[in-house]
Amino acid sequence: MLKVQNITKSYGDLKAVDNLSFEVKEGEVFGLLGVNGAGKTTTFRIIMGLLEADDGTVTLDGKPIDYNMTDKIGFLTEERSLLLKMTVFDQVMYYGVLKGMNKIEVERELDKWLKRFEIEEYKHRKIKELSKGNQQKIQFITAIINNPKLLILDEPFAGLDPMNVEMFMDTIREVERNGSIIIFSSHRMEHVELFCEKLVVLVRGQAVLEGNLKDIKKNYRRKNIIINGKVDKEELLKIEGVLEVNKKKNETEVKIQDDSCVDKVFEYITKCKNITKFVVEEPSLNEIFVSKVGESYDKQI
Amino acid sequence: MTNKFKYLVGVSLRKKIKTKWFAIINILLVVIIVGLANIDTIIESFGGDFSTPAEIIVKDETGEVFDLFVSNFEQAQTYLSDPESLKMIESNKEKEKLVEEIDNNKTIIVYIKQDSDNYISAEIISNSYVDNVLYQIISSAINTSKYTIAMEKSNIDIAELAHINAPVTINRTILDESKSEQEETMNFFMGIVFPIFILPFFMLIVFLVQMIGGEINEEKTTRSMEIIISNVSPKTHFMSKIVASNLFVFIQASILLVAGFLGLTVRKYTAASTFSLGADFDIKQIWEMLVSSGMASRLIYIIPITILMMILSFLAYSLLAGILASMTTSIEDFQQVQTPIILICVAGYYLSMLAPTFEGSIFIKIISYIPFMSALISPPLLLLGQIGILDVTISIVILISAIYIMLKYGIRIYKVGILNYSTTRLWSKMFKAARG
Repeated sequence: MLKVQNITKSYGDLKAVDNLSFEVKEGEVFGLLGVNGAGKTTTFRIIMGLLEADDGTVTLDGKPIDYNMTDKIGFLTEERSLLLKMTVFDQVMYYGVLKGMNKIEVERELDKWLKRFEIEEYKHRKIKELSKGNQQKIQFITAIINNPKLLILDEPFAGLDPMNVEMFMDTIREVERNGSIIIFSSHRMEHVELFCEKLVVLVRGQAVLEGNLKDIKKNYRRKNIIINGKVDKEELLKIEGVLEVNKKKNETEVKIQDDSCVDKVFEYITKCKNITKFVVEEPSLNEIFVSKVGESYDKQI
Repeated sequence: MTNKFKYLVGVSLRKKIKTKWFAIINILLVVIIVGLANIDTIIESFGGDFSTPAEIIVKDETGEVFDLFVSNFEQAQTYLSDPESLKMIESNKEKEKLVEEIDNNKTIIVYIKQDSDNYISAEIISNSYVDNVLYQIISSAINTSKYTIAMEKSNIDIAELAHINAPVTINRTILDESKSEQEETMNFFMGIVFPIFILPFFMLIVFLVQMIGGEINEEKTTRSMEIIISNVSPKTHFMSKIVASNLFVFIQASILLVAGFLGLTVRKYTAASTFSLGADFDIKQIWEMLVSSGMASRLIYIIPITILMMILSFLAYSLLAGILASMTTSIEDFQQVQTPIILICVAGYYLSMLAPTFEGSIFIKIISYIPFMSALISPPLLLLGQIGILDVTISIVILISAIYIMLKYGIRIYKVGILNYSTTRLWSKMFKAARG
């Protein structure tokens, strides 16, 4: 289990991470979310042992993470951390050996993953000759080549087309099934919703939202009502508790304060014609994220 | 499990050596060095009017000058690069016949006769221009012959004449007893031979600084550093770069040495026979000069000291370059930072060249203690006798201390620097890191 306990890190007067704690068990995917500059990279660096926290501890299976343990960790950085002049083979071999693997083992795993990602022909090509998407595949291979116990994925889908995103998702799920601990960061909330059971949202180093994704959604009072039929936007906005009405192609999305106004909206649509759909939905993670991050910024300002 | 340190060294070294450019540059270097060592042979092989004639045909109408002319010519011919290949022939043929027979640039006719006043006059006939040195020697030999004959005719006896003709004996006396004639030879050595050894040292330092800076910056700017440092400690990474860059310098120096020996070996078998460059280096001649001037005995301990100081200096330069490279955020920044490093090296080089001119300079002596410059200045000062073994020992101790300090504090700076991508408050961050 990965245990992050009360870590704090400051750069001068700026608190990059402020008393952050979370736990991730084997076979779990944990979302570490936040806008740019929220403290995600600093947190990753502290977990990887690249930075020392001013306060707090990070343990993996009860032991502090040090160079005796980093062979069990895979790390995919947000930027392409590849040496562009190297060939795919040399690059993966370089990182693989640094993770404590022997050369035969690295090559065997590399061949397996190149085949899986359908890029076998690039084995001896220089990284700089590859497309962004294929470079990302190579970077992903370097992160998982050692079958890591802890896998940190910072924006893993950047630069990928939908087909390749699907391919990566399958692989991440496979790594999850194998019992790895995965920490996942992405600005694409739909991806986070697909993978993460637990998450934390950081704003200026502080956790503003944390816990189980289902509970977060359940406890989030605002809901959305999707209506298919002819409704009057102005009439809907007059109902107490209705925050926003968005007309979409065939549907109308009504954002409500909480469950208490569902009945009032339903009462209104019974008077309307051609209603074929009335569904109360939980808000998307994206909405919760935007709302929570916005609130926190407002408070801090 | 592969030793990660050894593996990092291997990767760094292979990245530098297993490239087309390394091969191309070194092939070019070998070709240029061998070419420079044999430049006279190359120039001659393309042909031209610079070849020294192979035969001098003397037509002596007076019947009394030839032997004297030959004798005087032989005394002066040591100034020619290849006097043995010259043939001196006396001819009885008519002048016109001899002129008709000249069909190449290798023959000179020296036509000696008496003028209307019964004094010797001469005519030098050739197909083309004559080498200036050879012309002066012929002219001098004729003049001396004329002078000798005139003295004989004036009833000056042979012994007296020999004394008059004998070169003036010049005794060199230097009033300062601490100086010797041998030191003049040393000055020659410093001016001509020493730069041949110092220039490659300077060049290797430039290679070293560029290699270490380039590699660290490449890994830093591509963020590969984060992956590497998450698997090996910054200390291991730093030391791997230092070892790899110094090994690279060792390999490069070996290539330069091999190229130098190859050039001299080629020269030995193909050296130009008739063309003089005026500064014809020959290891044997230089060695003989060193032995006769007493420098050879000093070199026995100066050479190991120089090699030791060079190795320590390479280490010091690589540590400094590594630390500075970790602080910079791009290769462009590092290129600016490396300029003062190179300038320090250039200053050391020039001061070592100026040492014979400003003999006894306290300034140069003080500079010879400063790390990064001591390897360039101390050995020549020791060779010139301007400093003693104690001074060199102090320089070595200071250099080792500088290396120790850079290792101790540099690794702390390196650890922070390699993950720093901002130039804001850079020096404050680095000083804080150095304090630990």
